[in-house]
Amino acid sequence: MDLSATPSRSKSGLRSSPRKPVAAPAVAQMDLSTPSKPTPRRKPKAPPVAAPMSPVTPSSVRRSSRLLETPTKVTSETPVKPTPTPKRKRAAPSPSPKTPTQSEPKRQRQRQRQRQQPKKPKKRAYYRKVVYDGGEFAAGDDVYVKRRDGAESDAEDPEAEECRVCFRAGAAVMVECDVCLGGFHLRCVRPPLRRVPEGDWACPYCEAERAGKAIERPKPPEGKRIVRTAKEKLLSSDLWAARIESLWREPDGIFWAKVRWYIIPEETAAGRQPHNLRRELYRTNDLADIEMETILRHCYVMSPKEFKDASDQGDDVFYCEYEYDIHWHNFKRLADIDDEPETKEDPGDEPYNAGNDYVSDSDEDSEYDEEEEPTKCSSARTHQSHALAANLRKGRTYGLQKIGIRKIPEHVRCHQKTNLEKAKATLLLATLPKSLPCRDKEMEEISAFVKDAICNDQCLGRCLYIHGVPGTGKTMSVLAVMRRLRSELDSGNLRPYSFIEINGLKLASPENIYKVIYEQLSGHRVGWKKALHYLTEHFSGGTKIGKQANQPIILLIDELDLLLTRNQSVLYNILDWPTRPNSNLVVIGIANTMDLPEKLLPRISSRMGIQRLCFGPYNYRQLQEIITSRLKGIDAFEDQAIEFASRKVAAMSGDARRALEICRRAAEFADYRVKQSGHTSVNRGKNVVCMGDIEAAIQEVFQAPHIQVMKNCPKFGKIILVAMVHELYRSGLGEVMFDKLAATVLSWCHVNRELLPGYDTLLKICCKLGEGKIILCEEGTKHKLQKLQLNYPSDDVTFALKESPDIPWLSKYL
Amino acid sequence: MAAAAAAASVASQAQAVLRGRLCDQAVVHSALRSSPDTNYSKLKYLVASSVSEACNNSVLLLGPRGCGKAAVRFSFLVYSSAPLSAVFSDAGVVFDEMCQWAIYDFTLWVVSAWTEVVDMVLDDLKKDHPDAISVIRLNGMLHSDDNCATKEIARQLCLEHQLSFSKMASSDDNTEFMIDMLRECGLAHKTIIFVLEEFDLFAQGKQRLLYSLLDAMQSLTSQAVVIGVSCRLDADQLLEKRVRSRFSHRKLLFVPSSVDSLQRLMEHLLALPEDSPLPTKYVREYNARITSIFNDKKFKGILSSLTDADATTSHILRFLFRVVSYMDIDSGLLSMQSFMNALSSMQRQPKMDSLQDLSILELYILVCMNRLEDKEKSSYNFITIMKEYKSVQDAYKTSDKYSHTVCFRAFEHLLDRELISFADNKGRNQALEYRPVKLLISSRELAESLKLNTTCPAVLQKLLDRERYM
Repeated sequence: MDLSATPSRSKSGLRSSPRKPVAAPAVAQMDLSTPSKPTPRRKPKAPPVAAPMSPVTPSSVRRSSRLLETPTKVTSETPVKPTPTPKRKRAAPSPSPKTPTQSEPKRQRQRQRQRQQPKKPKKRAYYRKVVYDGGEFAAGDDVYVKRRDGAESDAEDPEAEECRVCFRAGAAVMVECDVCLGGFHLRCVRPPLRRVPEGDWACPYCEAERAGKAIERPKPPEGKRIVRTAKEKLLSSDLWAARIESLWREPDGIFWAKVRWYIIPEETAAGRQPHNLRRELYRTNDLADIEMETILRHCYVMSPKEFKDASDQGDDVFYCEYEYDIHWHNFKRLADIDDEPETKEDPGDEPYNAGNDYVSDSDEDSEYDEEEEPTKCSSARTHQSHALAANLRKGRTYGLQKIGIRKIPEHVRCHQKTNLEKAKATLLLATLPKSLPCRDKEMEEISAFVKDAICNDQCLGRCLYIHGVPGTGKTMSVLAVMRRLRSELDSGNLRPYSFIEINGLKLASPENIYKVIYEQLSGHRVGWKKALHYLTEHFSGGTKIGKQANQPIILLIDELDLLLTRNQSVLYNILDWPTRPNSNLVVIGIANTMDLPEKLLPRISSRMGIQRLCFGPYNYRQLQEIITSRLKGIDAFEDQAIEFASRKVAAMSGDARRALEICRRAAEFADYRVKQSGHTSVNRGKNVVCMGDIEAAIQEVFQAPHIQVMKNCPKFGKIILVAMVHELYRSGLGEVMFDKLAATVLSWCHVNRELLPGYDTLLKICCKLGEGKIILCEEGTKHKLQKLQLNYPSDDVTFALKESPDIPWLSKYL
Repeated sequence: MAAAAAAASVASQAQAVLRGRLCDQAVVHSALRSSPDTNYSKLKYLVASSVSEACNNSVLLLGPRGCGKAAVRFSFLVYSSAPLSAVFSDAGVVFDEMCQWAIYDFTLWVVSAWTEVVDMVLDDLKKDHPDAISVIRLNGMLHSDDNCATKEIARQLCLEHQLSFSKMASSDDNTEFMIDMLRECGLAHKTIIFVLEEFDLFAQGKQRLLYSLLDAMQSLTSQAVVIGVSCRLDADQLLEKRVRSRFSHRKLLFVPSSVDSLQRLMEHLLALPEDSPLPTKYVREYNARITSIFNDKKFKGILSSLTDADATTSHILRFLFRVVSYMDIDSGLLSMQSFMNALSSMQRQPKMDSLQDLSILELYILVCMNRLEDKEKSSYNFITIMKEYKSVQDAYKTSDKYSHTVCFRAFEHLLDRELISFADNKGRNQALEYRPVKLLISSRELAESLKLNTTCPAVLQKLLDRERYM
C-alpha cells in the first residue's frame, strides 16, 4: 500500500520509521497536505479502555505492567544526584536502557555554537538552543517530561504502537481510531480495510460501545505486556508535557529549563468534558524550573489551525486551544497573536522592549543577564496575592486571571458551521482579511515612505498625512505595511525601529499624548508636562529615553484632528520634533478631513510638509472585490447580491465597513429565515443570500424609520402632524405656536364629528412626538406658547398619512 | 357580615393577583415569545447568535417611549397600597403633563426604568448560557459624561467578575481596563452586553465612549454586543462619521401595537387564571363578566378613546391598573363603571383642574390678562394688569374689589401654579411687579372653566365673551 497516497491520518507513517528526525522544530514538521478537520466528538458512554477516565484509576493492566519493571532501575533514576540518563532511545531493537556510565561521555553538552563558552561562570548562562543528549531543544519547543516521583520507567519508549488486535508492531499500515486513539492494522480490523478510510473512523469496538453493545476487546496474549507510547502515558497522566520557556546553565554546569506545563483534561477541575478532543491538552499558567535531564523528547502541541493542517504527523501531536488557570480553575482561549507569552504574562516590560529580541536574534547565543526572567515570574506570583483593584494599573495586569470560564461551552465545539454562518464570520469587521485588496498603490506609497525614512542613515524627520472618509482602510493599510516591515525586519533587511500607535480619540485629553508616547518609549508613567519635557529633550538630541535610544521611531497618530487644542500647541510640538536634527522621528497622521493642514496655523502646516496621501472612497468594483475576496471558498452569496450591495454602498459612501455590514446583515436575514423555516428544508436555493436579503438589509441601514412611526401614530398624533403641514403651507413659517395648532385640530375634530381631545392631551401627544424628534418642540412647560416645527419634510408626512384607514377625512386637508 | 368580609377578602386577593399580572413583564409580553416576527425574537436571535458565534454586534432599538422598549412604570409605585396609589397616580399624571423630563428623572430613582424587551431577551439568554453573559447597563441620563461612563463600566465589570474596584483609577486606566476585559472575556467565551439607555445622550460631545467601545469591538478577540435604546428616531444620525462607520447599523423599530392586539392583550391580562388560589366559582363568574364587558359596544368606545391619544403598551397597562383599583370590592367583579372611572382618571386635564379651584380674584386676573392679550399688547406686567383690573372694576362696579397687596398675593399664587409665567428670563433682579408676564392657558380653556365654575360671577363670563365677540 502506498503510504504517501493515503489522505487521512495514517499511523504508520512516522511512527514505524525508526529514524525520525529528532531535533527538527515543530514548525518544520508541518506538512501542509490535505487538511483533515478535527471534528469534535462526543465521548462514548463507557470510557474507552485506551484513555482511562481519571488519572487516579489507571487500568489494572497498566499498573501491573508498571510493576513488572525492574524496581532497581527506578531507584537509580530518582535524581538524588542528577545523573543523566538517555531520554531518547533510537528505536533500538532491544528495550534495555543504556546505563548511566554509558551515556556519560555523551553528556558532554554540545552547544550549538561552540564559540560561545560562558564567559562569566558565576552567572547563569541563558541559551536559545541546547543540544542535549542528541536532542536539540529550543525555547518554545514542546517536550515530554518525566514525572519525578515516577513509578514509571522511561526505559520503554516505543516508537511504534502495537496493534490492538494482534499486539504486534509490524510495518504494515495502521489506522487510528478517532474515539479511543488505539491503532489497528488494516488487515486486523474486521472486516479488513483496504486503505485508510477518509474522514473519521472508529474501530469496531468503539462503534459497538457507542451502539450500546457490550463487546470484548481483544486481550493481549499471555505474558506480553502492553507497551505504551508516550502519548498514551501522557494521556493517562504518567508523563507530563511542557513547553520550554527558557534554557540556562547554572554555574555548576547543570542545564536547567523553565517550563510551562500542559495539563490533560482529566486533571482539571472540570474533568474531561464530553466535547473535549481525545488529543486535547490545556496550557497552564504554571511554570516550573526543571533540570534538562527530566526532559524526555519532543512532542508537538499545536494550535487548532496547525492541528487541522497536520494530518500525518505521527503520534506525538496534541491539540491545544485553551489556557487553564491553575489557581482559579478556569479556561481561556489562547489568543492567536500570542506568540510570546512573556509579554502577556508580564506587561512590565513593554512590547517595545521586544526589540530586545531582535538584537539578540542577530547573534544567536547571546547571554542574558541574571535579572531578566526568573525575577519576573516570581514577582508575578507575589503580586497575585495582593488585593489590588483590578481597574488600577497594577491590578489590571494581575487581577484578570480570574476571568475565565469554568467549562468550555459545548456550542463552541459541537457545532458544524453552515455556509451562511461561515460567511457571517468572515464578513465580521473584526476578521482580518488575509490580503488587503484594492489598496496596493497606497500601501506601496506608505511603505516606500517609511522605508525611505528608516533606511536613511540620517533618518531625516518626516511627516505623512493620510486622509480619507471613514471605512476606506487607512489605518488597516498602515498597519499592514508595518506588519510587512516587521517581517522584513525579522529577516534582517531593515534597520530596527520602534513603532508607536496612538488613537487621538482614545486619549482623555490631547495633552495626554505626551504621556502615552513617553510611557511607550520608557515604560514609566509621568505627568504630561514632565513627559513633554523629556520628549523634547529626547528629540532635540539631549538625553535619550529608553534602551533603544538611537532607533528611529515611527509614530502613527490616528484621528489626528482630535489633537487640536485652542492654541494648537500639541500638534505643533508633535510636528516640530521631526524637523529637529537627530530626532529620528517619523510621524504618520491619519484623519478624515482633507483640509486639516489648511485649517491649522501656518507654522504648523508648514511643518506638516506637503506629503499627503488620499484614500478615496471605494468604487463598486473595489467593494465587490473586497467582499468576494473575503467570501472565497464559501458558497453563500449570489453574485448579483454582492454586486447590488457594493453598488448601493459605493453610491452612498464607499465605506467598506458598511458594505461588509450590509452583507453580514443580509446573511443574518437569510440565516434567520432558514432557521425559522426549520432545518428540514434542504433546498439549496433557499440557503443562499439572495437579492431580497440584501434589499432588506439596505432598507434597515439606509431608510429612516420615521415614515413607519408616523403611520403608527395614535389618531390625534396623526391629526396634529397633518395640522402642522397645513399650518406650514398657510403661514409659510416653519414654526407654529401650540395655541394655534390646537385651535386648528379642535376645529377639524369639531367639523368631522370626532371626540374633542383636551388641551392637555394634545400637549402630551406633542411632547411625545417631540421626544421621537418627529417634530421639534420646546419643553411642555411653555404650554400654549410652545413652538413646534416639523423635523422631516412635509412631503414625508403627506406620503405617510395620505391613506390612513382610521381617519379618512384627513386626506382632504393635505 | 361575615359573608361580606369574605367577599371583600376574595376581591382584594383578586386585585393582588391581577396587579401581579400587570406588573410582571413575563405575563405582559408572553405573546411576544411565541411569534417569530416580533422584535423580541429578532433581538434574541441577534444576541444569541453573537454569543454562540463569538461575533460583535451593535444594534439600536428605536421607538416612542412605552412601546415595551423602555418602560417608565408607575405601576410599581402604585402597587403597595390603595391610598398611596391615589396620591401617586394623580401626582404622576400631573407631573407627566407638566414636564416630561422631570418625571423621567423622578421614576428613575424610584423604579429602575429597565428595558422590557431587552430585559426579557437577556433573562432568557442568561438561562440558556449561564456564566457566559455579563450585562453592563448605562443610562445616558446618568453617564453621558465619558469619564463617568468608563468608570461606571469598570465598576460594573468588577462587580460582575468579583474583582476589586478602585474609585481612584484615572479614566485612562478605566478605559484600558475595559479593553483588557473585553479581550479576556472574549478569550473566555464570555459575552459582554452593553445596554445603553437614552442612547442619544451618549452621542453628545466627542463621542469618545462610543468610539472606544465600537473600536474595541473591531478586534477578533473581543466578544461584545452594544444595544442602544433610544426614543429619538434619528439617533443613528447623531453619530459622528467615524463612529457611525464602526456601528453595525442594526435597527429595530418599536411601534405601538394595533387596537386589536391591544384588546387581546387586555383580555389576556384581566382574565384570572384557572389555577389561581381563588375559589373557582368566583373565577368563573369573574371571567364571564369580563368577557361580556369586552363584547360590549361601550367598551369599544372606551378603548378607542384611550388609544386615540396614546396606544403604547405602558399606557394601556397604566389604564388597566386603574381599572383594577376601581374594582367593586363588595362583589369583587369589574364593571363597566370601573372602566369608565379609569378612563376619566386617565384623561385628566390638569390645567382645567387647577383652573377649577382658583379664587374669584385669581380668575379676574386671568381674565384681565386675556383681555390684554386680545388687545394685542405684546408685553405687560402686573402693573398693567392692575390697571386693566381697575378699569373693569370701574366699569362694572362689582363687589370683588381688592386692594393692591391682595391682588399681588393672588398674582404670585398664579405664578406658582404655572398658569402664568414670566415672558423671559431677563431682569431677574427686577421687582416682580415690573417683570413682563405671559398667560399660559388659552382663552378657550379659560372660557370653559368659567362655564364649569359655579361660583363664578356672571360679569366675568360676560367680560370674556364680550371681548371675544366684539
